[in-house]
Amino acid sequence: MRRLGQLAEILVGAAFLWAGIVKLMDPTAFLSAILTYEVFSYNVSVIASLGVPYLELCVGACLVFRVMKGGARLLAVGLLMVFVILLSQAAMRGLDVDCGCFGSNAKSSEAGFFWPIARDVLMLAGIGLGMIAEGNANRSREK
Amino acid sequence: MKSVREACIISVIAGLCGVVAFFAHPKAPSFHVDELEVELEEALRFEEAFWIDARSDEDFEKGHLEGALSLNEERWEEQIVDFLDAWNPDAPTVVYCSSQACLRSHEVAERLKAELGVENVFVLKGGWEKLAEAGMVEGANQ
Repeated sequence: MRRLGQLAEILVGAAFLWAGIVKLMDPTAFLSAILTYEVFSYNVSVIASLGVPYLELCVGACLVFRVMKGGARLLAVGLLMVFVILLSQAAMRGLDVDCGCFGSNAKSSEAGFFWPIARDVLMLAGIGLGMIAEGNANRSREK
Repeated sequence: MKSVREACIISVIAGLCGVVAFFAHPKAPSFHVDELEVELEEALRFEEAFWIDARSDEDFEKGHLEGALSLNEERWEEQIVDFLDAWNPDAPTVVYCSSQACLRSHEVAERLKAELGVENVFVLKGGWEKLAEAGMVEGANQ
């Protein structure tokens, strides 16, 4: 169980690393994607277009290399929840958004939101599995 | 508590990297995006404006403003030849892409300014969506 939890977290970390690298290759494209959500002002979006990819890189590296796991999990959960909320509000408003999840993707229609949201929920489940597995392992060690 | 402290450390590291990238990244976005922007009403008042479509080739094929020339980052080297053939340095150049969220038009306009010294270049605020609202174009837009 513990190994499975670790593997799940490493996979989630690798996904974060990949997402961060792709976004950093073209921050302007990512900025364009953020703007399609029609939630943040232009200036906030500029800050996010450079801040979010580095946050994803750091969180991903921490999860993969098992450093500062607690903090990385906390941030990963926060980021994923924000992504789910953003995608859900865009789906409810019927917006044509560019997901931007892994760099700049094609625009998603309402039907196209399912996979990005499902992917984020799956990643949240991976973090949850890692936390449960580590909790169980710690408890059995204490006994 | 330890997790919160770690999260703060990770966030600070990411923030510092973001600040460095803002100044050092060759493709870092700018805060001053509206410098080149022009409203449709104003663009229509330009005499003999030269219209540039910065959307993808696929979108251009589906529909474009009559008389507009396709010029995008993907096929810059090929399309710039057509641009130079058709370009009138005395006429203002107006670049549009799909919407206000799209930044391709800004990239093309800035590149025209930087690489070719095109001074009289503008970006249409609202892009294709604005043109469609005004009934000037028809066709799908992605």
